[in-house]
Amino acid sequence: MTELLLWPLAAGLVLTAIHAWFGLHVLARGVVFVDLSLAQIAALGLAVALLAGHDVQSDAGYWYALTFALGGAVLFALTRGCEAKIQQEAVIGIVYAVSASLAVLALDRAPQGAEHIKQLLIGSILTVTPQDVATIAALYAAIGIVHVVFRRQLIEVSFDPAAAVARKRRLFAWDVLFYGSFALVVTSSVRMAGVLLVFTYLIVPAALAGLMATSLARRLAIAWGIGGVLTAVGLYGSWSWDLPTGPAIVGAFGAVTALVAAVFGLRKLSLRGLGVLGFATLALIGVLLLAFPRMDQPWLDAAEKIAPPVQTLFLTEFERTTRAETLHDIERARAELVRLRALDQDVRWGKTEMDPEKIERLRQYLAGRGEISAGDELVLRHLRTKARARQRWLLGLPMLFIGAIGLYFLEAKRRQRPLLK
Amino acid sequence: MLQTLILALVLATAPEYVFSQEKPRVLATSADLKSLAEAVGGNRVQVESLAPPEQDPHTFEIKPAQLARVRAMALVIRVGLDHEPWFSKLRLPAGVTVLDTSKKVRLLQTQTPRLRAERSAHVHAYGNTHYWLYPENALAITADIRDALTRLSPQDAALFDANRNAFVEVLRKKIGQWQAALAPFRGTKIVVMHDSWTYLTERFGLQIVAAAEPQPGVPPSPAELARLLDRMREAGVKILIADPGSNAALVRQIVAKTGAHEVTLFPSGYDYIRLFDENVSRLAAVLKRAAQ
Repeated sequence: MTELLLWPLAAGLVLTAIHAWFGLHVLARGVVFVDLSLAQIAALGLAVALLAGHDVQSDAGYWYALTFALGGAVLFALTRGCEAKIQQEAVIGIVYAVSASLAVLALDRAPQGAEHIKQLLIGSILTVTPQDVATIAALYAAIGIVHVVFRRQLIEVSFDPAAAVARKRRLFAWDVLFYGSFALVVTSSVRMAGVLLVFTYLIVPAALAGLMATSLARRLAIAWGIGGVLTAVGLYGSWSWDLPTGPAIVGAFGAVTALVAAVFGLRKLSLRGLGVLGFATLALIGVLLLAFPRMDQPWLDAAEKIAPPVQTLFLTEFERTTRAETLHDIERARAELVRLRALDQDVRWGKTEMDPEKIERLRQYLAGRGEISAGDELVLRHLRTKARARQRWLLGLPMLFIGAIGLYFLEAKRRQRPLLK
Repeated sequence: MLQTLILALVLATAPEYVFSQEKPRVLATSADLKSLAEAVGGNRVQVESLAPPEQDPHTFEIKPAQLARVRAMALVIRVGLDHEPWFSKLRLPAGVTVLDTSKKVRLLQTQTPRLRAERSAHVHAYGNTHYWLYPENALAITADIRDALTRLSPQDAALFDANRNAFVEVLRKKIGQWQAALAPFRGTKIVVMHDSWTYLTERFGLQIVAAAEPQPGVPPSPAELARLLDRMREAGVKILIADPGSNAALVRQIVAKTGAHEVTLFPSGYDYIRLFDENVSRLAAVLKRAAQ
């Protein structure tokens, strides 16, 4: 595990370090999508490099991408001056859409690189090399030093532009420095980790930190902590659940964001609001079960998975036996299939010797076995449909009833209160 | 009045070649099929291909001028199966004959496992679509093309038949050469980036043991990659076949961690015979290097 995940983890930490800082700036400036836009301009630069006859992976390709991204940065710095007339988010969106389309036009003339540019946008953090990490670490350290030296000006320009104007700071020049260094970071990071992962590193830690603290230093510390921990969690999840690495890390960030949002949302709800929400949900899923018993009912599926009696209580003795036997068969088939697949792999890789006729029989069996188990799954689905027909009335009606009564009482109580006052 | 209208409609929808004495226009969706159609049609038909060989057929997007051209064709030759997902959206007029060359060829990997005990390496719903990479399949494909062209212009039947026979003769001789070049390496285990090479390796007795990126565009999970690297080191697999569009970072990683030799082969080309010539000579070279 460490052999493969050590360098992705290091890369994730380097990304966290620089992107959390830029993320705080970007959120303060209200230009959340600037990162996607710059990445897309960089991709356009690569497409143009292809047209000019360079390889996507070549140094020339990188310089094309960087030049285009820096051009975009200057453009964004320029448009800040016209914010009264046109929102900066609008410019960013336009630049995104137009450069994405221009890249498609360019690739139409040079289709051999399309696949590589797509891969660049998806990224592949799993396959970073120690040299990759060392290069961006050095580059980001240099950018970090510039930002530390000019921190007062850069912070003021991002967080309090009015004060910067009052102090006669040269807004445009500092904006060029900010967006320029940002373009450099985005171009280099996206090459390594892909657009989605880079966007996540930029926005999520900074946004969550914004919820938890007010001072900039504290926010930065929290964002670094969140980014580091979630990178490790995502990598671990990717390893143990067999998931593609980049999306798994994004998923970890997303899950925590959802959790934090839920906690904040629930904290705002009063006890009564919580009650209304609960009863309304209960009534709604009751109605759906009553009206469309054959529809997918994910909540009921989940409940049945956790507590099988939710389904078996609604089956006859005979059906219950069938269900148990079928489940047993499927489990056995699955275990056998895993065993035989492993055997097939061993034979394929030459670890186990087997005569050709037996190999052929094994492959035939593997192909056929799937069909038999598909039949078992059908039996289970049939039983579930039968149970649903009974759950429809015995579960759906009470749920609707309890939900409606609950809502009615809460509403009545609300109306009483102003009368008492 | 109604009759004139119907006549006008019929004329409007009829393919262009009805009016002129020009050669029938034929379109192939891939460069390989174009090459085979030219081999059979000779100078009696005019063949175009829709996409260059470097284009990924799955993501191909048709342009307006191309769409107009396709609709004016007498015959459209396609790979079929689910190789050209955009094909059904062309809504070709009734006058255009469509030849799906997958009907009579030998297909591999046609089974679709339904019970998924693990993430499986399956992306093709109707069998692996790279069937033109099995050289004998060109026999069935060119026979289909000959029959379709003969229906289109019956007076040239003898010529088409002779052209095809000449092509088959060359192909047979070439297959002998390719076989000889790869014969010393029979049974060699190979890892591919993507499942496009099943036909070629099956034909020449090489053995694909795994695909590094079973779902194109979805990078493998770390556990999958670790299993692959372990297996490769354990079994001493020294050859990695990449496609021109393969994930370069992943190729680099596998080569660095296992010491395998990487070779990029082309799944598609403008000249059918030269495509095999090139692929076979690259394969033979890398197999020789790995054997040393």
